[in-house]
Amino acid sequence: MTVGQPVERVDGRAKVTGDARYAADRTLPGMLYSYLVMGTIARGRVTSVDTAAARAVPGVVEVFTHENAPRLTSDQHFMPLQGTQIHYNGQIVAITVATTPEQAQEAAELVRVTYAPETPKAVIADALTEVYLPANQEVIVGDPTAGLAAAEVTVTQNYSSPPHHHNPIEPHATVAQWDGDHLTVHETSQGVVNAQRTFASAFAIPQTNVRVLAPYLGGGFGGKSPVWPHSLLNAAIARQLGRPAKMVLTRAQMYSIVSHRAEFRQQVTLGAKRDGTLTALVHLSTQQLSRTSENMYSHSISSRMLYACPNIHTRQQGVRLDVPTSRFMRSPQMASHFGLETALDELSYQLGIDPVELRRRNYTDVNPTTGERFSSRFLLDCYKLGADAFGWSRRNPKPGSTRDGHEFVGWGMATEAHDHNANPSSAMVRMAADGTVLSQTATQDIGTGTYTVFTQVVADALGVPLNQVKVELGDTNFPPAALSAGSGTIASVTGAVNAAALAVRTAVVQLAVSNPASPLHGLPAEQIITQHGYLFSPDRSRRESYRAVMARHGAPVQNTSSMTNARGYSTGAVFVEVRVDPRYGRVRVTRGVGAYDAGRVMNHKTAGSQVIGGFTWGIGNALMEHTVLDRRTARVVNPNLSTYLLAVNADVPDIQAIFVNKPDPVSTALGARGFGETPITGVPAAIGNAIFHATGRRIRDLPFTQDKLL
Amino acid sequence: MKNFTYAAPRNVADAVRLAGQPDARFIAGGTDLLNLMKDGAQSHGAIIDINGLALGDIVQRNGVIRIGALARMSDVAAHPAVRRSLPVVSEALLNSASPQIRNMAAVGGNVLQRTRCGYFRDSGTTCNKKAPGSGCPALEGENRGHAVLGGSDHCIAVHPSDLAVALLAVDAVVLTDRRRIPFADFHVVPGTTPDQETVLGHGELITGFEIPVTPLAARSRYLKLRDRATFEFAVVAVAAALNMRGNTVRDVRLTFGGVATKPWRSPEAEDALRGKPLTTTTITEAGRALVRGAVTRDHNAFKVDLVQRALDGLLRDLGGVR
Ligand SMILES: Cc1cc2nc3c(=O)[nH]c(=O)nc-3n(C[C@H](O)[C@H](O)[C@H](O)COP(=O)(O)OP(=O)(O)OC[C@H]3O[C@@H](n4cnc5c(N)ncnc54)[C@H](O)[C@@H]3O)c2cc1C
Ligand code: SF4
Repeated sequence: MTVGQPVERVDGRAKVTGDARYAADRTLPGMLYSYLVMGTIARGRVTSVDTAAARAVPGVVEVFTHENAPRLTSDQHFMPLQGTQIHYNGQIVAITVATTPEQAQEAAELVRVTYAPETPKAVIADALTEVYLPANQEVIVGDPTAGLAAAEVTVTQNYSSPPHHHNPIEPHATVAQWDGDHLTVHETSQGVVNAQRTFASAFAIPQTNVRVLAPYLGGGFGGKSPVWPHSLLNAAIARQLGRPAKMVLTRAQMYSIVSHRAEFRQQVTLGAKRDGTLTALVHLSTQQLSRTSENMYSHSISSRMLYACPNIHTRQQGVRLDVPTSRFMRSPQMASHFGLETALDELSYQLGIDPVELRRRNYTDVNPTTGERFSSRFLLDCYKLGADAFGWSRRNPKPGSTRDGHEFVGWGMATEAHDHNANPSSAMVRMAADGTVLSQTATQDIGTGTYTVFTQVVADALGVPLNQVKVELGDTNFPPAALSAGSGTIASVTGAVNAAALAVRTAVVQLAVSNPASPLHGLPAEQIITQHGYLFSPDRSRRESYRAVMARHGAPVQNTSSMTNARGYSTGAVFVEVRVDPRYGRVRVTRGVGAYDAGRVMNHKTAGSQVIGGFTWGIGNALMEHTVLDRRTARVVNPNLSTYLLAVNADVPDIQAIFVNKPDPVSTALGARGFGETPITGVPAAIGNAIFHATGRRIRDLPFTQDKLL
Repeated sequence: MKNFTYAAPRNVADAVRLAGQPDARFIAGGTDLLNLMKDGAQSHGAIIDINGLALGDIVQRNGVIRIGALARMSDVAAHPAVRRSLPVVSEALLNSASPQIRNMAAVGGNVLQRTRCGYFRDSGTTCNKKAPGSGCPALEGENRGHAVLGGSDHCIAVHPSDLAVALLAVDAVVLTDRRRIPFADFHVVPGTTPDQETVLGHGELITGFEIPVTPLAARSRYLKLRDRATFEFAVVAVAAALNMRGNTVRDVRLTFGGVATKPWRSPEAEDALRGKPLTTTTITEAGRALVRGAVTRDHNAFKVDLVQRALDGLLRDLGGVR
């Protein structure tokens, strides 16, 4: 049994040796390079584009502007270069195409664009009077007004968080090649099947004419889920010029055309009895929207699904600004979750109830919004396991009570929670005549360990060693499978992979027991044991290797299976220690423990890595990360990794990950639930709560930089 | 980025001659120059690679430590003579950038690195330092990282080097192919010409730095405050060197990073301490003297407070004041 074991990544070697080929590594004969020219105003019109100097650069094949760009539409996104209107700073205003990337870039720098600018609105504070309620963004359960009236204690507070950018280490890249009306695209995509659909509809060709490949990804975090307009434009350019075309975005370009996490404001009101029982939970949020899209999502799910409260009101407001459209970014629910989990901490101090105990008292097995029972929920175990490992019971609740040298020490905690997708998926498993196994499915490994986990699943289902199994992903020629987003890959696709492998096992066992040449001949198929690459009789006195059965059969055995899974909700509890030096307002996170209910854990190493990664990102989110917009120009001022700060190793302490590891009975993914996004959600609140415990200072505006703690 | 020529001279005379071409630039570690060229903040037709010149030595002789311009940040930080006699230099370097960058970057390039002002490094934005007369968007825009000392209506960008702050505290001298420049005279405030950052002439080559070994420099320390634990520029930095006789400050150097448009020495703060006992009162007075002329903008006023706190903390640690 390898499922559950901390199996090393099967793709690790290919990645560290450079064997793994990413989209930007694809170079095709006769290929052209496209380079984007980005606009420098946020609102207004392009009045002219002078391309003469750009066209004079040697090697330049074409320069596209709104006047001559291929005509394209998108049902999902605003498509640039189709007119003169500018909706956000950093919008694509021209594309240069040349025979080398350097020529294309030099030409791009020489394109001169003039504008008729208008004054933009960059941040929520600029448009407070324009906040509105988009359709279907309000949920009311019970009677929140009555619930508040019945409360003995209430807390109302405002929280805010800045925009963030995904910043996967691999930049977005796209390589398009046409063969008649057949298109092949190497695309940094979290969903090759979705991408195939988008390309097909943009070019009005059958989906089967499009092949999208993304065998490896250097992270995505949601930013690579949709196909963005630049990829469609690059493919259109390849078609128009009759040559393959490649476009690789620069880091700076990724700050305006591949989405971001919106700026948010939250107002959370909690009403409770003296014993801590919640009587009302009112969560009002305001999200930045763009001029061209009203894209929203259920970011306040935590307020609707986490705690037993009879009266809940969530209202997700929007405000349109002259900025790019925001979309999902790892753990879309975390901004709202930060408000909720901080407000609960504030309530715990008002009540004089320990923050863990307060959450325990409001624990529920039932979804408070729908009344449905969760298929399984071991959140109480998480509180206990996490608190015990952390030593929480030794905590003196009084803020500022622990000092070590110059530093105040604080302990804080928060619940972690995120729901996950489950999309119908299919997978193929084939055992070759030599006994080796290949599995193919058109989902992706975005860096989370999909290759490794599916290798384990197939090996276990068949009873063969890991090194006898090869998994291939990220190609629309494979059976269609889920988008790698919304924590959904393992939850969606594992069942199909397992079913296909089991079907192959059944077929091979049948081949053995039905053939007189096999030592297993005549045994009941359902009694055969498969292990270590062998088929055994129940008493293990007789055996035959898969290899021998397959050699005799002389042909591959193959199965393609499909499966659906249920959506789910993975929860946990995170505990942190911070040290705050009050002389400088300097905060260090010095300890972290997280305990999680993710259903069955498929691989303790890759799951543990999700915790380390989530915790690390949570530290950055809490202490430093933010996209800075110039308020007058709505232009990003820090579009690079030397000024857009993420936590580095020195910011990250040892992080202990604990799993309840109990299978979810309804999960077709061998009992696993989706988990990727859960272990970041509570970290910013836990850190803020720990800072309060250390110092008595409550900061409600992310990030908690030292200037806010002086 | 446009095409450029590349030359790798083997001696100083050739290097200086080649650098006389109108749009030539030296390259040492390239850790700043290449970023500037890729970001479109600078553009050069000729790149003169000086890594073949014999300017990498660190030697102590006749009471002076001489550091070659091509000595790598990591080598200088680890050098026993530097660690013993110029601790502030070693500490400033070890608090700079990352090990990878410190292994590549040379100390000559370090003191010439350019500001991290986001507007300066964005080819899509106007900036007086990039294009004199085009305007300074930081004045009314995002200026949390910007200077409160030494700024002008033309530019308030911070000089980002940690090493430069330390060298200023230990009375370093810049050696070039043609002259000796006291470190205090090397960098200039922006005034009306923010594109001018030093007194170095076009094509003038830094060959090294000379630093006297003194009791003052031997008791020196660097404190850097920043938005993450490492691999990040200073929000506020202080270099202090202290020579005490009993409880009295015999001599002191106080220099600052993160708060000023050039590596900043504060004679006023030093005067508040020199010849006086090191106490809470005198330390506070030194901090007040430092920021007396500070000019704050929308987002950087906290630096006035933070730099005084940093000075206070560092002087207490260094002077053993409780
Ligand atoms: C992500 C990141 C983080 C960083 N963090 C810090 C930090 O925390 N603190 C800090 O101090 N620095 C930091 N740096 C800056 C780094 O220290 C400088 O980039 C480096 O010191 C420059 O040295 P270099 O040899 O690479 O210079 P180059 O890039 O080669 O050159 C820089 C400039 O100096 C000129 N030059 C070089 N040598 C000479 C010479 N001998 N004579 C005349 N001109 C010369 C070049 O022409 C060029 O204009 C950071 C850099 C990066 C990229
Ligand atoms: S502060 Fe200086 S470098 Fe920054 S935008 Fe203004 S002029 Fe340019």
